[in-house]
Amino acid sequence: MRIYNYYYASYRRKKTKPTLIKVMKLALLLSMVTMLNISAMVTSHDKKLSILVDNVQLRNLFLEIENNSEYVFFFNTQDAQLDEKVSFSTRDEGIESILKALLLKTPLDYIMLEGNFVVIKSKAEMQQNVITGKVVDSEGRPLLGVNIIEKGTTNGTTTNENGDYSISVSSRDAVLVFSYIGYLSEEMQVGAQMIIDVSLIEDIELLQEIIVVGYGTMKKSDVTGAIVSVNEKSLNEVPSANLQLALQGKAAGLEIQRIGTAPGSDAHIRVRGDRSITGSNNPLFILDGIPFEGGSLNDIDQNAISSVEVLKDASATAIYGSRGANGVVLITTKRGKSGESSISYNSYYGIVKVARPYKMFDAEGYAAMRDAGTGSWGYMEQELESMKTGRSTNWQNLMYEDGYVTDHNLMALGGTEMTQFNIGGGYFKETSILPGQDFTRYSLRANVNTKVGKRINIGLNTLNSVNVANGIQFINEQPNTSGFSNTPFGGSIMFPILTLSPLMPAYDSDGNILIRPGGNSEDRENQYNPLLLKENTNEWVDRTRRLRTFNTLYAEVDLINGLKYKLNLGLDYRQQEFNQYQGRDSYFRTRDQSARARVNNGDGWGYTIENLLTYQNVFADKHNINVTALFSAQEDHVHNTLVGKEGITADFIEFYDLNQSDPEATLTLSGNESSWAILSYMLRINYNFNDRYLITLTGRADGSSRLAQKWHYYPAVSLGWNIHNEGFMKNLEILSIFKLRAGYGETSNQSVDPYSTLGGVSNYIGATAVRYNYGEQRVSGYYINKIPDRSLDWEYTRTVNAGLDFGLLKNRISGTVEFYYAKTRNILYNVTLPISSGISGQFLSNVGEMENKGFEFTISSVNIRSGSFTWSTDLNLFLNRNKILKLYRDIERDVQNQLHVGHPFNSIFDYEKIGIWQLNELDSAQAYRQLPGQLKIKDQNNDHRIIYGEDRKVIGSGEAKIQGGITNRFTYKGFDLSAVIYARFGGTLVSYLHQPTRGYVTIMDGRRNGLEVDYWTPENPTNWFTLPQEANDFKITPPNAATSWQTLGYYDASFVKVRSINFGYTVPQKYISKIRINALRIYFTAQNPFLLYAPYVTKWNGVDPEPTGTGTIGGVGQPDNLRISGNNPALVIGPSTPPTRSFLIGLNITL
Amino acid sequence: MKTKYCKPVIILMTLTLLMVALCCSDNYLEEEPKTIFTTAYFEKPQGIEDAVYAAYAFMRYIYTPNASTALFHEGTDEWTYGEQPRNNSSGDNLQHKECGEYSLTSGNAAIPQIWNNSLPAINLCNGIIEFAPNTEGINENRKLELLGEAHFLRALYYFNLVTQYGGVPLDLGSGDLKLNTTPFFGFNRDNPAELLIKNYQAMIDDLIFASENLPTMKNPDNHRLTKAAALHMLAKVYVMRHYTPAAQSTDVQNAYDAAMKLIENQEMYGVALQQNFADIFKQGNEYNTEILYAVERIPGDNTNNMQTDPSGIGGLENHCSSNFTPNYQQPIGGLTLIDGRPLQYNRPLRKIAPTKWLTMTCFADKDNDSRYHATFRTLFRTASVNTPGTQAYDDYIQLLHDNGLEYGDTAWYLPDTQEEANAIFARGVKYFVVGPDNWYTNQDLTYMMHPALTKNNDSLRVAFNDAPGRPYPVCRLGETYLLAAEAAMLLNNNDKAAELINVIKRRAAYTPGATEQQVNERYAIIAVSAGDINLDFILDERSRELAGEWVRWSDLAVRGKLYERAIKYNPDVTGLIGETTGKYYIRPLPQSQIDAINDPDREKYQNPGY
Repeated sequence: MRIYNYYYASYRRKKTKPTLIKVMKLALLLSMVTMLNISAMVTSHDKKLSILVDNVQLRNLFLEIENNSEYVFFFNTQDAQLDEKVSFSTRDEGIESILKALLLKTPLDYIMLEGNFVVIKSKAEMQQNVITGKVVDSEGRPLLGVNIIEKGTTNGTTTNENGDYSISVSSRDAVLVFSYIGYLSEEMQVGAQMIIDVSLIEDIELLQEIIVVGYGTMKKSDVTGAIVSVNEKSLNEVPSANLQLALQGKAAGLEIQRIGTAPGSDAHIRVRGDRSITGSNNPLFILDGIPFEGGSLNDIDQNAISSVEVLKDASATAIYGSRGANGVVLITTKRGKSGESSISYNSYYGIVKVARPYKMFDAEGYAAMRDAGTGSWGYMEQELESMKTGRSTNWQNLMYEDGYVTDHNLMALGGTEMTQFNIGGGYFKETSILPGQDFTRYSLRANVNTKVGKRINIGLNTLNSVNVANGIQFINEQPNTSGFSNTPFGGSIMFPILTLSPLMPAYDSDGNILIRPGGNSEDRENQYNPLLLKENTNEWVDRTRRLRTFNTLYAEVDLINGLKYKLNLGLDYRQQEFNQYQGRDSYFRTRDQSARARVNNGDGWGYTIENLLTYQNVFADKHNINVTALFSAQEDHVHNTLVGKEGITADFIEFYDLNQSDPEATLTLSGNESSWAILSYMLRINYNFNDRYLITLTGRADGSSRLAQKWHYYPAVSLGWNIHNEGFMKNLEILSIFKLRAGYGETSNQSVDPYSTLGGVSNYIGATAVRYNYGEQRVSGYYINKIPDRSLDWEYTRTVNAGLDFGLLKNRISGTVEFYYAKTRNILYNVTLPISSGISGQFLSNVGEMENKGFEFTISSVNIRSGSFTWSTDLNLFLNRNKILKLYRDIERDVQNQLHVGHPFNSIFDYEKIGIWQLNELDSAQAYRQLPGQLKIKDQNNDHRIIYGEDRKVIGSGEAKIQGGITNRFTYKGFDLSAVIYARFGGTLVSYLHQPTRGYVTIMDGRRNGLEVDYWTPENPTNWFTLPQEANDFKITPPNAATSWQTLGYYDASFVKVRSINFGYTVPQKYISKIRINALRIYFTAQNPFLLYAPYVTKWNGVDPEPTGTGTIGGVGQPDNLRISGNNPALVIGPSTPPTRSFLIGLNITL
Repeated sequence: MKTKYCKPVIILMTLTLLMVALCCSDNYLEEEPKTIFTTAYFEKPQGIEDAVYAAYAFMRYIYTPNASTALFHEGTDEWTYGEQPRNNSSGDNLQHKECGEYSLTSGNAAIPQIWNNSLPAINLCNGIIEFAPNTEGINENRKLELLGEAHFLRALYYFNLVTQYGGVPLDLGSGDLKLNTTPFFGFNRDNPAELLIKNYQAMIDDLIFASENLPTMKNPDNHRLTKAAALHMLAKVYVMRHYTPAAQSTDVQNAYDAAMKLIENQEMYGVALQQNFADIFKQGNEYNTEILYAVERIPGDNTNNMQTDPSGIGGLENHCSSNFTPNYQQPIGGLTLIDGRPLQYNRPLRKIAPTKWLTMTCFADKDNDSRYHATFRTLFRTASVNTPGTQAYDDYIQLLHDNGLEYGDTAWYLPDTQEEANAIFARGVKYFVVGPDNWYTNQDLTYMMHPALTKNNDSLRVAFNDAPGRPYPVCRLGETYLLAAEAAMLLNNNDKAAELINVIKRRAAYTPGATEQQVNERYAIIAVSAGDINLDFILDERSRELAGEWVRWSDLAVRGKLYERAIKYNPDVTGLIGETTGKYYIRPLPQSQIDAINDPDREKYQNPGY
């Protein structure tokens, strides 16, 4: 069906929807009244028509034919020639001969088009060049109202609701210009084509012309701060359990690193680097205007999000004052729209497979390694037998199984001018390749907005989710505590899978699981068979369940011209329960340990009240002013209770009734509470002159419960110059956007915990309870363990930012370049007070300084646009350089906390490995009390000794030299293909896997299997790994051998990863409209399909270059080369769930 | 605006204004923690009691952990370092050796023990003294008692600091004797000599307050502080001050008066000497009338005793007896006669050993003075840590039989004289005999055995490696007599001094079962007369009475007798040779203290010579 804009057409199908069509239908109905009596006169059979009419207007005849046949007519309703009445009769005639006969005596002519379309035009018109075609978006959806103009003329038309158009052009040399708001304009040479189909590319810049800036929205062209925006479509390219992973590689300046491999794991998010030593460096998350406190982003269903904006510099974040320094991530959820209601269903299902198993020694390699080494542990009987028979066990293969991931999401949206709604619900589940690990989320949400009269707008937005994660705590040995402070039981599952001897059978001769296949030394005797985890699932529980309900109620009143008042009320409740159970004589508890369980139940709640006054006006056409004033109050509370008990009577009780246990057995109880409040006033003035000169002034005052000196003020100023709007630029067509921005401001982070300034008394000294007795009377004492500190203050960051936005070739290429420098002062640092102050232990004080500087580059381009094929690219590249400027007093380094003045916060301080001592270096090796086959460490001070205190230096840091992401999108007719690539270059990763006494996976002491590394033997003079030896064999290893072994775990962290490949097909409407579907897209996604580059994996046998956790995750001990505790532990790679790739098939349906 | 919508708007705005009003009220930003305690807790009746409990509890860091053993005893005439520090000079053994031979530096790990644990306790006492007057809901008498306890304890913490390190700050950051409420990075110790004067005056003021406000009558079931303890300490501090540059002319008289007030009013205070010296320390008799104040613990209750790692040798475990115990498990000729570490014999940690002077010269008369045998164990019987019925036990019995011994027979015997030892040797016995000539000193390593200090042995521990858990006497009436005698001597009243000392001597002559005549005969031999009295005699007598009771090093250092007597009687104090003044008579301040001071010229705060 095609409709010329100047032809009204009849329309055959009954279920057309768009409103424009309705109008036409009405016109049609009216005209049909006159011909009701003859309607039966046209019949059709097998494309043959029978007609019998008498004195009927031509136009009515065409309509009648259309109603009774497959043909669709296009004609100009204004054409008086159609009013001519005709009488005509024929039987079983083809359409063309009918038309020929009918039109013979008229000045009209017809054209038959593909698909039973009939165009009726005057014969004169037919001489012109008529071009028809269809305009769609990149996903093949028709675009309504696209302007099509013959270049250099006023001749133009627009597309109908199906994206169809027809235009007569003056000649074959004409050029058609297709333009549409939010899309890049397209020009097409007519040439010999009769039909020109066009697919328009969304203009990211223009589409997001209005962006969310915190306490409001703003025209992108008016923005003066550093803000990056990620839209829904871009997020959906990486379907994942949570937002973080979808954002990875999508926004310049937003660094997202994985910190866990189990389903539902969180991620490590930094906006322009770290700036606090002891406090959190996480950005502030704002969900629909309300701070999203103390929780996991896992609570948010990705399907609910319509856009994410990241505010990066102080001029953008100063409106969040005391909480702005770490950057602000604004998450906006989907809203209702007026118009016809629609229901959409999005779903995918996929399988999860191990991408790369760990490369461990096989039976033969294991035996060779043991024989090569100095370890004195003998082989077990079964091992000797295996050596004879060639039996070998691949523990990884036994344990891994395919997982799956699935998501179902239902959304209804619609509304009228007065009321709009968007309601939906979702179900997400991901299971792991290890037994017992999974993550499930159930979510419900609603957004309803309605007008009350002309001036009041009220609405409610509610997001609710329940999620259940299993198996995270045991696997990672680290809790996903999210504000609840008690450490759960640990227990590494991966470790035995990797280190059990491949010579040991997994099953005994009767086919039963060999319970303790540990081995030849005391500490391995109690290593239970990990297969028990798979088989005896009733013996353990490891569950985290969270509930969250996040609600916002708002009301907006239009007061007088441009002045609005808005009230925002946020109410947030979250509850989290950790449940653990470990049965007796099970994988987790040896024979002499009783069953134990614990329940850690915590909840948090808070409210936010925001009062906003906004004023917007334009004076004298050129002075645009926009003022936002805020008063807000927020409170938040968390509380948790932990109960733990040993001696649980039976497995089936799990954690449900701890009283069903041995009354004498150990009982653990603890609780914690924390509350805070913040009051804020904010004023922001945006002024722009003639869309050219922009200025934003921001001031915020925050009063916080956490400080003794409660109130602080945050100023910021930023300027912008839309150079492209200047007269002298008007003629420079190549530059469509050219804008300079600069900003300066001060913000802080809330790095002081509640109650920090109060001082404190305690009845514990470390783990020792302060007790005393008077004879038999036992008492518990309280002493002063924290000094009140009225001077404790925030950490302030001053940022200077300069940015350039550009658009070239009518924004076919657009991008942004940003430079910034941020200096944080007053950094809180634990200093040791002289004990003569009467307080033992460390004391938090505002003493340090740190800087971050960097560069960010974003570019979007449409590379190819040819007919229905397009290729576009989004690229972002960024780098951040962090440096500690000052710690405390004149301290240059604090080794214990891994802080080094003049180096990045995440630097690594250790020996420098230069190789392995070789046989021909015997003399030099002995001078260092070493032997060939042992580590050659650089003698930093050249004193011919390797001393722990003297020969270590900063040997690297986790900071990437440059990182970024690239997304390529291709469309061809209904097909779309996109690929998201994420890359980091430079930096050093810390691999516990390769640190013999950290991960114990490369210890090679003859007691356990290990990662297949190239170790030194007299016959194999490698420079990678040492001769296999026991950790504390001082006969052959030098003092501190175990600490110098850490140097085996530092590798280049660079990688290039394909995060996802998406291939979709949008089914053309003509196939689906019959089954009452408006839109249908089917797609296939491969997640993490390839590693394009990763020396750690390809050269050094690692499995994945991304971190698996923080601190001691999957490792042991207190490595003093790393910061392992506090808010900012180092990111490390430990023996964790191996990397997976998943293959999804999905579908989006809109009804 | 049309009237129809005025209403909701008005309601909205009113609501908003209400909220603004609510939020702006002063307490919106006030913190009210629920799970953490602040000093506000001390203004509640239970809070102030709990604070006093902690002030008592911190004394456990001073009295009797491993590190303080070294600071109170090593390198004196009485004690030298034991076999472990001698053979393995790393870790805590190094602390002992450095203290014992005077090679210690500010980095010595024993040095912070008293410093680091006393100063926070003093700050706590300051807090109690500041908060208690504001505490509501507690009666005034009780308040005064609590204040008395805080004053006493503060004085005792200061006493140990001052006698070890010299003048120490009274101002921890917020003024003299005030609870410190500022994070203070300085160190108010510009002039230690001046501080010393203030320190002693503060202690005396505190103890006078305590002696007036503590309860009068000693409770027979516990060692909560009473006036008696305060008078004892007051006398002691006056005596000590007399020997320092801070001395006042009235000190001796005041010391005498305080001590005599206690001695003459024993009944009123509910105190008395034990008839039998050995009974003072007998297990089960911890709450006897002679002990004026003890740092309390409960046998077998490691949690109460704050011994999180009861087999540890760190900061809190009580090693008052195990540190002094020689290696009775050692094999002689391949034979070990004691099976494991039976509870009654302590854990042989071997950190410290008596000098020959103490065992042979000071306690020359082991027959008439019962205190030698009440102080030292010289007989160990065969015993096993294993229980009958176990294989290990049976094996041990078999071993005894193989060597002609039964369970409970003598295993080790350390005769009083070498002659006796020689005679036993000549006779030939199946057990091990070690005569005084071969007792362990660093000069004689034949047997690594020496008399074992038994005062405060605890045989009711849970496990054989657990640290003991008995109340440790800090002030006892026996010492009050000696302080009174010393004051009398200094007042040139040697008659009175001799009279007071003879009370102690008469008690020393007593043993249970002895007839009055026997006791009188012994007393006649050991009794003294005015002519015998001088400072050295007083110090000798203090050794006989107080050996191993956490007093000796400061007794000598403050009285200016350390050099003379240590050089004379302890051949291991090699580092002290030639160091007649300065350095070693006070301890270095811990390096961690010095390092933390925010003053580029921080080394100036260190004691001279370190």
